[in-house]
Amino acid sequence: MKPLLQPARRIVPAGVLGGIAVACGVFLTATSGWLIVQASTRPVILTLLTAVVGVRTFGIGRPVFRYWERVISHDGALRDLAERRTETYRSLIPLTPARLGRRRRADLLTGVVRDLDDEVDVQVRSLVPLIATLVASVLAIVVAFVLLPVAGAVVAVLALCAVALGVVDGALERRGQRDVLAARGEVQRIAHLYAANTVELQAIHAVDDLARQLAEAQAAAERAARRQVLGRAVGLGGSLLLTGLGVGVMAYAVSGPLGAGALAAPVAALLVFLPLALGDVLGLVPDAVGALVRARVARRRLVGLVDQEPAVADVARERLTPAAPTLRLVDATASWTGAAEHLPPTTLTLAPGEKVLVTGANGSGKSTLLALLARQLDPSAGRYEVDGRDVRTVSLAGIRDLMAVVDDDPHLFNGTVRANLLLAQPDATDRELDAALVHAGLGRWLAGLPDGLDTQLGTGVRGLSGGERARFGIARALVSGRPVVLLDEPVAHLDRPTATAVLGDLMASADRRTVVLVSHQPVLTEAFDRVVALDASPAPPLPSSIGGSS
Amino acid sequence: MRPFDPRLVRELPQTRAPVAALGLLGAAAGVAAIGQAFAIAWLVTALVGGGSLWAPAVTVATILAVRGILSATTEVTATWAGARVAGVLRERILGRWSRATADDRPAPERMLTISTHGASSVEPYVARYLPALVAAAVVPPLAIVTLLVVDWSSALIVVATVPLLPVFAALIGRHTQEATQRRWATQTRLAGHFLDVMRGLPTLVSYGRAEKQADQVAAVGDRHRIATVRTLKIAFLSSAALELLATISVAIVAVWTGMRLAWGNLDLQVALTAILLAPEAYWPIRRVGQEFHAAADGAEAIDALLADVPPACFAGRESMSVRDLSYRYPGANVDVLQGISYAVRPGLTVVTGPSGCGKTTLLELLAGLRTPTAGAAEVPRTHLVTQTPFVLPATVADNLALGTGASPAQIAAACAATGLDRVIAGLPDGTATLLGDNGFGLSAGQRARLGLTRAMLSDAAVVLLDEPTAHLDPASARQVRSVIRDLARTRPVVAVTHDPELAALADAQWPLTERVPA
Repeated sequence: MKPLLQPARRIVPAGVLGGIAVACGVFLTATSGWLIVQASTRPVILTLLTAVVGVRTFGIGRPVFRYWERVISHDGALRDLAERRTETYRSLIPLTPARLGRRRRADLLTGVVRDLDDEVDVQVRSLVPLIATLVASVLAIVVAFVLLPVAGAVVAVLALCAVALGVVDGALERRGQRDVLAARGEVQRIAHLYAANTVELQAIHAVDDLARQLAEAQAAAERAARRQVLGRAVGLGGSLLLTGLGVGVMAYAVSGPLGAGALAAPVAALLVFLPLALGDVLGLVPDAVGALVRARVARRRLVGLVDQEPAVADVARERLTPAAPTLRLVDATASWTGAAEHLPPTTLTLAPGEKVLVTGANGSGKSTLLALLARQLDPSAGRYEVDGRDVRTVSLAGIRDLMAVVDDDPHLFNGTVRANLLLAQPDATDRELDAALVHAGLGRWLAGLPDGLDTQLGTGVRGLSGGERARFGIARALVSGRPVVLLDEPVAHLDRPTATAVLGDLMASADRRTVVLVSHQPVLTEAFDRVVALDASPAPPLPSSIGGSS
Repeated sequence: MRPFDPRLVRELPQTRAPVAALGLLGAAAGVAAIGQAFAIAWLVTALVGGGSLWAPAVTVATILAVRGILSATTEVTATWAGARVAGVLRERILGRWSRATADDRPAPERMLTISTHGASSVEPYVARYLPALVAAAVVPPLAIVTLLVVDWSSALIVVATVPLLPVFAALIGRHTQEATQRRWATQTRLAGHFLDVMRGLPTLVSYGRAEKQADQVAAVGDRHRIATVRTLKIAFLSSAALELLATISVAIVAVWTGMRLAWGNLDLQVALTAILLAPEAYWPIRRVGQEFHAAADGAEAIDALLADVPPACFAGRESMSVRDLSYRYPGANVDVLQGISYAVRPGLTVVTGPSGCGKTTLLELLAGLRTPTAGAAEVPRTHLVTQTPFVLPATVADNLALGTGASPAQIAAACAATGLDRVIAGLPDGTATLLGDNGFGLSAGQRARLGLTRAMLSDAAVVLLDEPTAHLDPASARQVRSVIRDLARTRPVVAVTHDPELAALADAQWPLTERVPA
């Protein structure tokens, strides 16, 4: 990964341009002071005109340079964003899905997108203003030094104090940042719980309990935010305090040479105005520091995620292309983290076309079993064989190409219905897509779409109900034509009649495919050849084999 | 869009203190900024005139120190106000929703968005935009009035040019609106692409399409950059134009005062005060425009968060009966229930009927969670155990106290009655065991017993059960049936069920017939 503070292309030039813009502002104020005092000496009008030209140049220069800086800095930052996004995306592919946590992977990935935004914010919000402040300060020091060396020293001390202030600000903000994030996360979690379960909470009159929890979490978040903002407050307040001291000290510093006749009165006024104008510039530092602190936290999270070892070793190149594979686990165990064992040693043979329901309470290892079969995890002990071959001796893609995995939250991409199905099998014909949707129980839904397969899906366009999404995931699995369908709680969010209907349609259309369905509750047991119970609680009675494989 | 929604303070008294504090601080900061202009002018005049620097220098340093303290206080107050107002709005809308029936609430996804990110986006609105708005309302008029007193002709220049800022902003806005809107759709689509691909990454990997998308991510990122920079150029250009306008206006004041100084018609200190005051009339107006972009989401969210949601009326009757009750889902074109009449008697009543005939909906109507489309439901306070009893990610004890407020002793007694005590004995930390996403997973039977125990602890007059024995193994189902029997001795219990053995235990049957959808 690129270092956080590495300036993107064109960011340093943008910072210099920004510095010139800021310096224009500083010199605009300073020359105005010079102009007024010079005018009060009632000189020849011509000498005033040079100052008028200066005022005009700096007045026009500030917006022009600022515009220029903003365009190229944003262009550079957006280029950097695109590069970092692509790089992060590529490095996440081998970590998907096993290293992205076990639930709510989409939310984790949304967090990655936000973190990348925060990381790139450093370019425009921290690097550019900090470089600009540096450039403007150096220019101000040089000008002051040329006019009166001791004045240059005063400006330099002022700038150094501002740096120290920025460091204090950063330290204070960093200290509070973690608490703020934790407290905000807790508020979001409770608000989510509250909003997503309104009916359930009303049903048991527990609304007030949640309201109380929310109020407590919000009070804690408020306290954390107030603690953290101290850094920013010190930064902003301190820069004004420094400005006042700078102006006062500068007035004393120039009064000597002025009284001795070594310095003209207009120049003395210019020098007094200089720290005043520079104070406005130093006020930009707290914002830059804040963006930096946010970015560092985001960076730490990203590194923690991306710097993981993939959960599966992809070393062998040979591919397998059986039409109807036999899957066999032999005393296989697996782990998501490498530390604890999440599946007890399991031996299981799945004949081609067999329909198996795996049940068990949370934590009994059902999802781990499915991840092992899908080769999202490699066995930490024991073996996993496909048609008698140990999976580690064949290519990862070769195994995964045999499996269609349907999870509890199938993602619908922004795009047409067709594109959403074709990603499972780019060569599928429209007739095959129609058939898959009908088999997944979406025939009537499809018939009601305004543009059929060309209808747009995705955010903000067309909402699908939970049942329709589950069915769409199944349709995708059917389109893929893959001989094994693995379903991880596909109907967990659905009410029972819908769940039964969805699974019934699936079993009816799965024909020769192998189906493994994981569910924490036994559903539609009569449609399966076998029920494997993974926990100690007694399994439901096994019905005689009436599965859809006939 | 209005710059400030007065409903925020009118309807929510808790937001008045933070908003008033921001207003006061803004006004004080404005006065300090005006004072600073006078102090600096005094200092420079004293310096040039060879007078004593001590008094003016200390005044300058003091005023800037006061401004520093005010600025720091404003920062802290603004952050507190942002968190407070966002929090109050979030609590308000969630409270309203949870006191309304399902028919009066927005779609679940919308509820989630409004109450989480929507409410959070109010924070920058209050913390950054409102202080800028206060400054824009206070500082320019103050500066102009002061300038009128100090040097009326400079004030006239400012009065003539300040209105140009909003006029110019509006003109630029109108001129660029079309271009911005034309690009908005494209830009939103491009901006959303990466999020969409990332959220779908597990799907892409699973179907072997992830590598192919990587080039797409890079290409779309590049197009997004080009489109965004094009839009930003318009925004930056208009901001530069406004800045130039303000600078030229201040320069006119400077040149005008300079000329009069040179003619000997003006005092130096007055002139310096005038050129230091003039910029104070312009920058707050430009800043409010800049902050508004960042706060636009918040302004929109405030509108959604202040939405009116009619509360449900719980009759709180003694007995439970329905007359000619009909219900139709919002947006549906047939009734799911039609003309139902029934009076619930003490003991166990079972509601039977084929799948999809509206049994769960009936329970929700009885529980007051939905408003009947027609007819009337007289209902006392009820406790509804949903099909999958709700489990909060918290301890077993917290879950049993949820909505019941039961004491540990009451919990222990109820657990003994329902057999949940045997389940708890097997948990790692007893009643302190964490349940839910990151905690212990209960099996369906254990969860059913938890739901029934909670029902037993509640003080509701009637208990409603939705498929209490579905998904249970025979042994668990047997236990649950006996618990239901016991529960029905204490108060009326209405259970929706397909379980013939439970139906056989009932004191009354309430058959529902299926309505064939048209």
